[in-house]
Amino acid sequence: MSAITVDLRRNRLMLSYLIVAVLLVVLAVAGGLLSDRFLTWRNIGNLFQQLIVLGMVSLGQTFVVLMGGIDLAIGSLVGALTVFLANFLEWRPDLVWLALPLALVAATAVGALNGLLTVVLRVHPLIVTLGMSSIIFGATLMYRKEPGGSVPRAFADIAYAKVGGIPFSAVVLVVIFALAGLWLQRTRTGRSIYFVGGDREAARLNGLPVDRIVVLAYALSGLCAGIAAIFLTARTGVGDPRIGAALTLQSVTPVVVGGTILAGGRGGVLGTFLGVLLVTMLNSLLNFVNVSSYYQWVIQGLIIIIAVGIHTTRRR
Amino acid sequence: MSIKSILDHKISRKSFIRGMPAVAAAMAAAPAIQLAQTSAAVASEPETKPGYYGAPRTWMWNPNANTMVDTTKWKKAGPYTIGFSNASISNAWRVAFQHGVLWSAGQHRDEIAHLLVTDANDDPSKQIADIQDLISQGVDILLIAASTEDALDSVVGRATEQGIPVVMVDRKVKTPANYITYVTASDWALGRLEAQWLCETLGGKGNIVMLPGIAGSSVAEIRIKANEEVFSKFPDIKVLEKQYCDWNPATGKSVMAALIQKHGKAINGVLADSALQGYGAIEAFLDAGYKDGEFPPMTGGDVARMYQLANQHNIKMVGIDYPTSMGITGIETALDVLKGISVPDKVEVSFQVVTSPGADTISVKGDRHLLDHVSMSDPGDLSPSNGLPAGYNPSTFNPDYPK
Repeated sequence: MSAITVDLRRNRLMLSYLIVAVLLVVLAVAGGLLSDRFLTWRNIGNLFQQLIVLGMVSLGQTFVVLMGGIDLAIGSLVGALTVFLANFLEWRPDLVWLALPLALVAATAVGALNGLLTVVLRVHPLIVTLGMSSIIFGATLMYRKEPGGSVPRAFADIAYAKVGGIPFSAVVLVVIFALAGLWLQRTRTGRSIYFVGGDREAARLNGLPVDRIVVLAYALSGLCAGIAAIFLTARTGVGDPRIGAALTLQSVTPVVVGGTILAGGRGGVLGTFLGVLLVTMLNSLLNFVNVSSYYQWVIQGLIIIIAVGIHTTRRR
Repeated sequence: MSIKSILDHKISRKSFIRGMPAVAAAMAAAPAIQLAQTSAAVASEPETKPGYYGAPRTWMWNPNANTMVDTTKWKKAGPYTIGFSNASISNAWRVAFQHGVLWSAGQHRDEIAHLLVTDANDDPSKQIADIQDLISQGVDILLIAASTEDALDSVVGRATEQGIPVVMVDRKVKTPANYITYVTASDWALGRLEAQWLCETLGGKGNIVMLPGIAGSSVAEIRIKANEEVFSKFPDIKVLEKQYCDWNPATGKSVMAALIQKHGKAINGVLADSALQGYGAIEAFLDAGYKDGEFPPMTGGDVARMYQLANQHNIKMVGIDYPTSMGITGIETALDVLKGISVPDKVEVSFQVVTSPGADTISVKGDRHLLDHVSMSDPGDLSPSNGLPAGYNPSTFNPDYPK
C-alpha cells in the first residue's frame, strides 16, 4: 500500500466527516430558526443524554463493519440484557456490582460466539447473526413475554445524572469513543481490524491471526451492546425483550452515514460519532417541528441510502 | 360546578363533568344570562344523537367516595403549551383517538397556544426521548399515552419531579404517584354490562361461548373477570368455551367457525368483548348458513362493522365501545389541571350502551339504537364513539389545531 493511496483514503474519509459536520451545522441552524427552544442548553443537554444507547450499539457495529462483517444480533441482545438486568436487580438490588459485570461478560460471550460461528462454519455473518438474533429473542420471550423487573433508583440515575451540567452518559460515550479511536489507530490489533476488513486473504498471507480478529470484532460489538443495555435499563427501569427491536437497523445508520464502507476496511469511529449526533438531532428536530414519526422513518431510510450512494459513487 | 364557575372558565366541552345536565338546565332556565361563548361551543356540539352525555357514570354511581385531586398547585395563567406524547397511531382506534386530541385542542384555541405532538411508533425507548424533547420545549403539561406501563414509569416520574404535571390517557404507567390522573374507561363496567345483558336476554339459562381479546393483556383479563362475576349469579348459564381471539376479525371468524362445528345450535349466546372479533364471529355464523333471526344474541363494540352486520341480519346485540373520545377528554382534563380545577384520580369516560331495537333488558337499557350509533355507509373500521363532528371519516379528517 503506497503512501499516496493512504493519503487519498484519508482525504476521502475527511470529506465524509466534513459532509456530516456540515449537515450537523445545517440541522442546528435550521433547528434554531424553526424553534427558539432547540438551541438552548437545556435541549442540547437533553440531546446528549439521548446519545448513549444509539452511540454504543453504533460503535459496536463500526468494529464489525470495519472488519468486513455485519452484526444483526445487536437489537435482540440488548433486549435480552435489559430483561436480565431488570430482573436480577429486582431480585437483589444490592448486587449491582455483580449484575453489571455479568451482563457485560455475557454480552461479550454472545458476540464472540457470533464471531466463532462465522469463522468455524464459514456461514455469511448476515445469516449467523440473524439466526443468533432469532435464538436470543425466542429464548428471552420464553423467560418473559411482558416487560418487567425494576431497578434501584441509584442505578436509574446513571442514565439521567449530570456532571457539571453535562450528562454523565455523554461523558462516558465520548471517553469510550476516544479510546476506541485511539485503539483502532495506534495499536497493532486495532489496525489489523482494518487490514482484515480491507482484504482478508492478504491479511492472512501477511500472517495476521484473521480468525482471532474476526472473533474479537464481534466480541467488542457484544460488549458495546452490553454497555448500551446497562444505560437503556437505567433509562427505562425495566427489562423489555422487544425494546431493542429497532436498534439493529438503527445501529447501521450512523456507521454508513459516518463514511465507513459496508464492505469493510475503511472508515472510523469519529464518523460514527458524528452520524449518531446527526440521527439523534434529526429525530429531535422533527419532534420540535411537530412532524409525524413516519417521516422520521422515511428520512432515516433516505439518509442511509443517500449516504451509501455518495460514498460508493465517490469511490469510482 | 356553578354558573359562576362556568362564566369564569368557559365551560370546556364535556370537561370532566361532561356537559353536566344541571348546567344545561341552568342555562335553559336563565336565558337572560348571555353565554355567547358557551352557546357557540354548544352550537358546535356534534352530538345531537340520542345517548348519555352526563358525568361519568362510574363516578356518579360509585357507592364509595371518589378521590379528588386538588390541582391548585399546578394552576397557572394561559395560554398553555400542551405536550402530547402518543404511543403510536398504528391502528384505527389509535388514529381516531389522536384525532380527538387534535380536534379538541382546536376547539380550545383561546386557551391553548401550542399542542406539540409526538408519536413513538410503539417504541418505549423513542417515547422516553419524545417526552424529554417535549420537556425541553417547555410544555406546561404533558398528556401521555404510554407505550408500556413499566418502561415509561421512570421518565414520567422524573417529569413530575421537574414540576411538569402529567395526565395519562388511554394507557397509564405503573406508579400512580408519578402522574395526576388517568383518563380511561372502565373495563369492569363494560364487562359486567355485556355479561348481564347476555344472561338476562337468555332468561338466565343457556349455553354461551366467550371470545375474549389477547391472553394476558390487562384489558382482556379484567373484562373476563367482570363477566365471570355476573355468570356466578346465573347458575343455569353454562360457559361452553372460552377462546382468545386477539381482537382480530380473522381469528374471531376461524375460532367461531370451529366452535359452530363443535357445538352447533347448542350455542345460545356469544360474549365477544369487542366487535373486532365479534364481526368475525357473525361472518362465521353466516358461512355456517345461519339465516336472519337464527343468530344467537351477541355482544361487541369498537368498530362499525359489527353494528352494521347486526342491523342487516337482525341480530340481537349490545355493543359498548372503548371510546376513542377519551382523547378529547384528555385535553379537557389537562386544561382543568392547569386551571386549578379538581380532577378525580381516575377519569373514566362514559360509554354509550348501544342495543339493537327491542333488545333492552331489565338491567341494561340502551342509550341509543344501532342506527343512531352508526350509519350503514360508515367505513367498517370506523370507531363510532369518537365524539367528533358528524360525518367524521378517519381517512379524510384533518383537524386544524394550534401547532
